[in-house]
Amino acid sequence: MRTNYQINSGVRFRMLSKDQLQALFDGVLHVLEYTGLDVYHDEARDILQKAGAWVDDIRVRIPSYLVSRSLEMAPRSFTIFARDGNPRHDIHIGPGLAYFGPGPTPPNFIDIETLERRPFTRSDARIVAQVVDALPNIDFCESLGTISDVHVDLAASYEFAEMFPNTSKPIVAWSYGWDDSADIHKIAVAEAGGQEAFEKRPNYIHYCEPLSPLVSTFEALDKLIFAARHRVPLIFTPCSIAGGTAPVTAAGIITQAAAESWMGCVLAQTIRPGLPFFMGGVLSVMDMKAMIYSYGAPELSLMMAGITELAHYAGVPLWQTGGCTDSKTLDEQAAIEGSLSCFFSALTEGDLCHDVGYTESGITGSILQTAMMDEAIGYCRRITRGIEVNEDTLATEVIQRVGPNGHYLYDKHTRSHFKTEYWYPNLCDRRSFEEWQKKGSMPMRERVIARVRDIVATHQPSAVKPETEKVITQVLKAAEERVKDKR
Amino acid sequence: MSEIYQQLSTIIIAGEDEKAPGLVQKALDQGLAPLEILDNGLLVGMNEVSARFAQEEMFVPEVLLAAKAMHDGLEVLRPHLVAAGAKPIGKIVLGTVKGDIHDIGKNLVGMMCEGAGFEVINLGFDVDPEKFVEAVKKNRPDIVGMSAMLTTTMIAMGYTIKALQEAGLRDTVKVMIGGSPVDAEIAERIGADGYAYNSPTAVELAKRLVGAA
Ligand code: B12
Repeated sequence: MRTNYQINSGVRFRMLSKDQLQALFDGVLHVLEYTGLDVYHDEARDILQKAGAWVDDIRVRIPSYLVSRSLEMAPRSFTIFARDGNPRHDIHIGPGLAYFGPGPTPPNFIDIETLERRPFTRSDARIVAQVVDALPNIDFCESLGTISDVHVDLAASYEFAEMFPNTSKPIVAWSYGWDDSADIHKIAVAEAGGQEAFEKRPNYIHYCEPLSPLVSTFEALDKLIFAARHRVPLIFTPCSIAGGTAPVTAAGIITQAAAESWMGCVLAQTIRPGLPFFMGGVLSVMDMKAMIYSYGAPELSLMMAGITELAHYAGVPLWQTGGCTDSKTLDEQAAIEGSLSCFFSALTEGDLCHDVGYTESGITGSILQTAMMDEAIGYCRRITRGIEVNEDTLATEVIQRVGPNGHYLYDKHTRSHFKTEYWYPNLCDRRSFEEWQKKGSMPMRERVIARVRDIVATHQPSAVKPETEKVITQVLKAAEERVKDKR
Repeated sequence: MSEIYQQLSTIIIAGEDEKAPGLVQKALDQGLAPLEILDNGLLVGMNEVSARFAQEEMFVPEVLLAAKAMHDGLEVLRPHLVAAGAKPIGKIVLGTVKGDIHDIGKNLVGMMCEGAGFEVINLGFDVDPEKFVEAVKKNRPDIVGMSAMLTTTMIAMGYTIKALQEAGLRDTVKVMIGGSPVDAEIAERIGADGYAYNSPTAVELAKRLVGAA
């Protein structure tokens, strides 16, 4: 019999102590209660006031009990379902689970044929979805760009319309406002089989961005209200810049960003109790020489780890960030920055880690970077899975059996475990020099490009229902009609 | 006498904004000419800041504090400069265009231009074409600066230029634009006079546009 035997399944990582987390938590409540936020949405202010917030012109202050109650109402565990019922594409949010995916809206894209940087187009959204669908360690989809070759108001509608049929992994949908949010929702609901069916098995996530410092913009809240009314799982994430739009210290930026995000949580939970809610935001530093918002800085990982621990302490999942880089191209810098931020994000069990594939500090999306990071994430996941310790894995019997001077290659124990104990790379090369040479002496960069091109040429994602195809056509037609007189 | 010039340039470089107005006043009290205070004191400091920034010896927050010290010193000096018939090297009306709320880069450009001796009228963000037109009518600037960070709001820069044309004001100003999706080609396409990709080059551009560089 065993007594008081504790098992660590996977790697343990904790940065902040409970006391530090409580201090951060109290700091956020303090900001919400005494400083408050400017809320540029009449209806939102009304709803918040009725719920118990203090409204003074556009300034809204929220008493701490209301914040705590809203955080409690938001679930810690829930599922986002693959549109085609493929259980391997479901996303189960909950403690100890971490998922990865690309990010939204850079203006440019690295063309996978010419490898040149150019504006993002409609067909790129399709390619990204198809490649995401095929990559084993990429779990959700975002487009990595803003479509430039359609009417400017319809970039988000076309993006979703292109991506949805080309991956059954859940999409995190970005939009400008109410109308395009509704376009997206119609498509998703058609596939789910109606609003009620959608509410039971949501198949996409809705993304909104409030403004730092401490502003809830009309667009962000209008989109939030749309999501809450239609029970679409919601991400509410500011993009705060330490030293620019937020305090320069890590603890300060975490506190402010959490306040901005929790304002959204309170509003969302008031409208729709129990709405699945992901806390944000994206935290990093402004490089004080280059004046860019750095997506490759170690502080990004550190601040993101801090806010992830705070989110989990408060009982909500977090929108993590990693796999991104300040490099302009698929090179060693991109590999270092991307891999390390993926690893750190995986250690924090940040629930949805996005921006995998951001290059040039978020100005250019690259599905090549995403594909390279797919390999890094596989590597990370093997590490975070940890070491299993039991009678079988201790293998004292096997050691006895093989004994001094024997070897393990023929042993059944080896055969039964070598596939699950090891991680096998897709892109990292382990062959002999001669074989590597024989296959064309390809560096990593070329192998990544070849893999992406191969996926685009061969991978067949599962199709949407024929009804959904029709709805997509109708939605786009109606959307064109809506904007036809707008310049 | 040269000692106070030295002091003025030193506080600019050190970004000691709270000391700048007092020291400028002291120089005026000593009977020094306003233009000399500017040229031999404040601008010497600011030029040194630019040089150090270009050599990556100074960081942006330090440059901004220097610009703030320059700005606060100029507040005291400006009336005297005007009385003496001296003018700022140029006047800039600056704003982030309609539909766009990204304003960090634009503010940076504004402060750096002020530091370089321009008078900057900052209209804020989400500024519609009509508001630009009004501000041009009211302030008669040499330059209109527009910032856009979204591909969707870039076109608003073109509309603003059109609105300036329609109001008959286009020929009275130079137009410079910036922001991450903007490039030289777009500047040309929409009929702007120049584009810059960061704040130091924005200052150079502004100087070129008013013929001061
Ligand atoms: C911070 C940020 C925000 C903040 C803005 C806070 C603020 N007060 O400004 C918040 C969170 C609010 C935000 C919101 C959004 N954002 Co934003 N944001 C950024 C981010 C990360 C940094 C921008 C920044 O401040 N950079 C630092 C400054 C110093 O650099 P800069 O702005 O480029 O300015 C320099 C030069 O461009 C130049 N310059 C700038 N202006 C001018 C003007 C003149 C006259 C001249 C000569 C030069 C010049 O000099 C400056 C100084 O060196 C960028 C990504 C990035 N890495 O740039 C995205 C980014 C610009 N955002 C983006 C998007 C899509 C949005 C949203 C639409 C997202 C959403 N769905 O909600 C909203 C838009 C809201 C709106 N209506 O404007 C996209 C734009 C993509 C596109 N295709 O257009 C980007 C590129 C992110 C991405 N990768 O998707 N964002």
